[in-house]
Amino acid sequence: MSDEHAPAPAGDHAAHEAHAPHFNCWIIFGILCVFTGVSWLADKMGDWGLLHKGVFLTFVVLAVACAKALFVMLYFMHLKFEGKWKFVLLAPTIVLAMAIPAALMPDIGSHYYDYQVPQTMPGAVSEDDAHHGGHTAGGHEKPAKSH
Amino acid sequence: MGIPIPNGKLGMWLFLGTEIMFFTAFIGTYIVLRLGSRGWPADPEVTHIRIWAGGTNTFVLITSSVFVVLAHEAMLMRNYRRVLNWVYATMALAFVFLAIKSYEYYGKYAHDILPGHVAESPQQALDKLVLELDAAAGIQPLQLEENSLANERTIKMGQKGQDKAVEALDTRLADVKERIGWLGGVGKACNPLTEKAKYGRISAADAEKELEQLRTEELPKLVEEKETELKQLAQGALKDDEFKKLKERKNAELKQISDSVRAIGSVHEPHVILWGNTFASVYFIMTGFHALHVVIGMIMFGVIILLGEANKLGPQHEVLVENSGLYWHFVDLVWIFLFPLIYIV
Repeated sequence: MSDEHAPAPAGDHAAHEAHAPHFNCWIIFGILCVFTGVSWLADKMGDWGLLHKGVFLTFVVLAVACAKALFVMLYFMHLKFEGKWKFVLLAPTIVLAMAIPAALMPDIGSHYYDYQVPQTMPGAVSEDDAHHGGHTAGGHEKPAKSH
Repeated sequence: MGIPIPNGKLGMWLFLGTEIMFFTAFIGTYIVLRLGSRGWPADPEVTHIRIWAGGTNTFVLITSSVFVVLAHEAMLMRNYRRVLNWVYATMALAFVFLAIKSYEYYGKYAHDILPGHVAESPQQALDKLVLELDAAAGIQPLQLEENSLANERTIKMGQKGQDKAVEALDTRLADVKERIGWLGGVGKACNPLTEKAKYGRISAADAEKELEQLRTEELPKLVEEKETELKQLAQGALKDDEFKKLKERKNAELKQISDSVRAIGSVHEPHVILWGNTFASVYFIMTGFHALHVVIGMIMFGVIILLGEANKLGPQHEVLVENSGLYWHFVDLVWIFLFPLIYIV
């Protein structure tokens, strides 16, 4: 019988063995759907006034997003079953990825003093404010939704 | 010796590392800009964010990620027909994602939430309304054309042997003047609102109400009057060809007015959204690049489909299928972060 396969590159056999399925992807899918539901529920609880919107909601939904991302990376992208090379590849990437917001935060993200742009001048009003009480522009909190 | 993975897979992971930096640049910038902008529009009713669309897209992408994992498992079992089926299913879900995204983008376009288009103060909203109303009414372009023709006529009058040209210009001028006259009713109806808006003598909310009244009551009445006039047109003492010409002119007048009224129907309501332009900019950058990556993923799946349909899929394509899967999981990963950041927070 002729060999159907081209000569395997070095490491291919080992790689093939390493990639044999170790998990049930539908269970992971279920977990991801549950996490998505948790995000949605947290948002709805904010609307219903059961959860304080703002920093806490942001924390909850971002924590859920990180958990979902971990599951996708560990299982779907097989990183759980790969060697230590994944740290060598990803660590500099993650460090550099966090560096950009960190570098921009002091200049653009935070304001130590009042900053004067048209959007923050007295009397500046947006539809957001008009919908929810008519306060002047300010704050990062998401106001309660109107129905 | 070396990392125990194929070179192609290592290459894909290195590429994904750069892609992580690519997206964290945009997402990081969005976070920083948002934190630094007091009064950022958080209400989805204002920014026309549809949470159900984002949630559905999250579910679609997660499901497509599962299909890609199943395609790879089928590849390991050398079941190429099954590989093809799962890749087709992934492709179908990718189209669903793009369809929902297109619907969302159309909503943004319809409400003019585009970078550089959003009014950030009441006077900006009113100025924008005046500009749009003037453009929609269509009188100004005709007035510009009239000036241009009049200038050309003056020049030709001073030149010898240009009598025919002057005659032709006279005919065109008369036509343009007649068209301006036709739109007199439209201009008169819009004038009270544009005059108040130009000088800030009306609030954005009241301007919106007046615009609605203009669109639903005054302008349709104008069109109705012209239609009635056309129906009641009687030949009287006119000859056949004269009556035919008159009817044609009346039809042209009705069409001109109807076109103007229809264009005014598309004028955007005056809405003020603080930081709306920055919001639109980061929104389209993040979701636009993500959609572009979805399309690139679809091209990769297209290659697998073509190979599969030509019965050329073989063990040598295992790395291709795995790499396409890795890329697709990355696209899903980005959306997992985009969804809460844009739709929920």
